Amino acid sequence: MRINTTRFGRIDIETGDLLHFASGLPGLEDCQRWALLADAGNDALGWLQSTSRSDVALAVVSPRRFVPDYQVRIPRSELTPLAMRNLKDAQLLVVVAQHNGSLTLNLKAPIVINVEARTGRQVVASGDLPMRYELVGHRSPLKKSA
Amino acid sequence: MLVLSRQRDESIMIGDNIVVTIVDIRGDKVRLGINAPAEVPVHRQEVYEAIQRENLRASRLEPGETQEIGKLAGRGPVPNAGNAGEPGRS
Repeated sequence: MRINTTRFGRIDIETGDLLHFASGLPGLEDCQRWALLADAGNDALGWLQSTSRSDVALAVVSPRRFVPDYQVRIPRSELTPLAMRNLKDAQLLVVVAQHNGSLTLNLKAPIVINVEARTGRQVVASGDLPMRYELVGHRSPLKKSA
Repeated sequence: MLVLSRQRDESIMIGDNIVVTIVDIRGDKVRLGINAPAEVPVHRQEVYEAIQRENLRASRLEPGETQEIGKLAGRGPVPNAGNAGEPGRS
């Protein structure tokens, strides 16, 4: 199928590659179908593109690429809607945002994907995890010293 | 908002399959027990709202702003949250 996106123009997606988020995402509850795209210039980055809203896409990364000791405890009630009993067969992604010129990762609410069933859900992990885990080494193009 | 008074061990039913029970009252803190179907997410309101805001903010990110991400690293250790898959409620 062909979808329109504001960031990547018109793209073709295999229907079998689509991901179904039964509850959407918090704040984006109406967006239930998504495509996971690879970033053209960056193998560390993916884009979760809504297939119903061309302007909605979330930058996502595999958390352990940036946080090697990232471990999550996710209540079983959060995994059951995905028909999963544990995270062994899941793909775990975290959402990237920008705050004060730094890129941050939402480690508190990872996205869990049941790869085989092509379903996904954003879950709330237990424990004191940051929602804005800062990545460093980044200089925002807007931050020029006087 | 519907306001009800409940004492310890008393419950409220929401719909036909959600039960909220007052498990303990200590000072100004109330411990609530929630019985709901597995597919109904239950969260502290401020946590859910914070995630909503964070997602909406993240949804405005453009590829031009993420170019440097391959060269970045995490700032400091993350509190170890334990093993995955542990049950959070009975």
